[in-house]
Amino acid sequence: MNKLDNLISQYKEGKCELITLFEEIVNSKKYIPFEKLNYLSKKLDIPLAKLYTTASFYSLIPTAKKGKYIIRICNNLSCNLNGSESILEMLKKELKINLGETTKDGKFSLELTSCIGCCDSAPAMLINNKPYVKLDKTKVRKILRELK
Amino acid sequence: MQILRKSNWEGFEKTRKMKRVDIINAVKKSGLKGRSGSNFLTGLKWELMGKGTRYLICNADEGEPGTFKDKFILENNPSLLIEGIAIASYAMDIHSAIIYLRGEYSYLKPKLEKLIKQSEKYLKKIKLKIKIVLGAGSYLCGEETAILESIEGNRPLVRKKPPHPSQSGLHGKPTCINNVETLANIPLIILGDWNNNLQLFSLSGDLKEPGIYEIELNMPLKHIVSLGKPKNEPKAVYFGGSGGCIPYQKFRNLQVNEETISEKGGFLGARGLIIVGKDRDIVDISRTLSEFFVYESCGYCTPCREGNFRVVELLEKMENGKARKEDVKLLEQLAHHISDTSYCALGVASTTHLKCALKYFKKEFKI
Ligand SMILES: Cc1cc2nc3c(=O)[nH]c(=O)nc-3n(C[C@H](O)[C@H](O)[C@H](O)COP(=O)(O)O)c2cc1C
Ligand code: SF4
Ligand code: FES
Repeated sequence: MNKLDNLISQYKEGKCELITLFEEIVNSKKYIPFEKLNYLSKKLDIPLAKLYTTASFYSLIPTAKKGKYIIRICNNLSCNLNGSESILEMLKKELKINLGETTKDGKFSLELTSCIGCCDSAPAMLINNKPYVKLDKTKVRKILRELK
Repeated sequence: MQILRKSNWEGFEKTRKMKRVDIINAVKKSGLKGRSGSNFLTGLKWELMGKGTRYLICNADEGEPGTFKDKFILENNPSLLIEGIAIASYAMDIHSAIIYLRGEYSYLKPKLEKLIKQSEKYLKKIKLKIKIVLGAGSYLCGEETAILESIEGNRPLVRKKPPHPSQSGLHGKPTCINNVETLANIPLIILGDWNNNLQLFSLSGDLKEPGIYEIELNMPLKHIVSLGKPKNEPKAVYFGGSGGCIPYQKFRNLQVNEETISEKGGFLGARGLIIVGKDRDIVDISRTLSEFFVYESCGYCTPCREGNFRVVELLEKMENGKARKEDVKLLEQLAHHISDTSYCALGVASTTHLKCALKYFKKEFKI
């Protein structure tokens, strides 16, 4: 049994939450494809609309296709005061995409995030689930280069 | 730091020899109040729990901008938290506890899970299961009833109260929701020699040494701020994204506690202080904060959804020199309408920063 089906049976026994099923799909696919939502709907006997309205509520559960690496840069106050705007501008230029877009090769998506609790090492961003802190332009270039 | 003390389950073992009601009374007597910023007497919250199957939820959703003290505990003394959860569960006769960990902190989950496994020996004694549910990116889900909806698999809309979660919470059962810092202090209270006024402050912004500081309440603002070593003369201190701001110069001698900050129109909340330097533009800061609320608004009610959107629009106009004279007045009215008529606490608090800015830095809003 694959991990998702395993979680689905756990869900039916009340041992795991719906949000955890979403997260499992996002872990493997980076987003929730429509087919998967449909699959869940049938397996769990929950209306598709309800699943969609729940999943789409969360910023870490994309319902549209994303790149291999989702860059989420924080632009809340502490990061903003420490130069997150210029890091954002640089990312847009380097990746040649705007916020909410994915590079043509499907490698990077660029998003904003609310505060990620790294305000003492601002500016900060998450790439997939990992935090990157005390960003400056040289550091960001290096990070992008190293992500294959 | 007090919060970094180890208990090694000594506090837990001590409570095993106590009656449940005596544990609750000890917590009540200690004066511990919710460290999420709720300031609700923790012992009383425990005492108010309804009968039957019940749950404990440890709120680790920490989403307030400029606040990272719960992360500090999760990283540096998580065993104290697990022990606190165990004592709380034992005191309230709870056998199922959930740590609701924000999705942005997912990298902390493996270590926490391991720790829960290692604590099995103690948890078994009170038949307690602790499980971690990972959030998925939503500030609103830190609100105690939105957490419940999130765990139950619904779109997280804040519930109407009453009934309070203590009577009807998760799956309709009595549920106690406590913050990470609140629960981590429990073993220390039981062990004794504990100071209720020592609390975690997150300092960030225009500082050379931002970070977590354990600070005694009632310390003058200037001493708190000086710990973070300001890069230049501070202009204002913000209390997270939703707690408003006060001017630094005017109130540098203010003894910081919940009441003194409230008297000045702010809200100390979870003690996330963002220090803003002298060259900063308050209108620009207001826009950054309002953009946060536009992003996090769940969209259910009009004042918060449309109102904050309009606030950002007006602030942008001001920044671009395109505002009209009456726009400042309009902004002021909007700020009040939003806080007066929003459905939940997110919307209600979403313009505190703006009201404070307009109160103390009105000159900067002139066009
Ligand atoms: C929009 C909103 C977000 C909140 N976020 C958090 C949070 O991230 N962590 C937290 O402990 N409490 C948060 N709270 C407060 C909770 O509703 C609740 O009062 C708290 O978890 C109770 O814990 P305490 O009694 O230990 O203070 C939030 C409240 C609101 C209205
Ligand atoms: S105030 Fe209204 S729109 Fe804003 S988060 Fe609460 S319910 Fe949603
Ligand atoms: S403000 Fe960016 S991490 Fe907190």
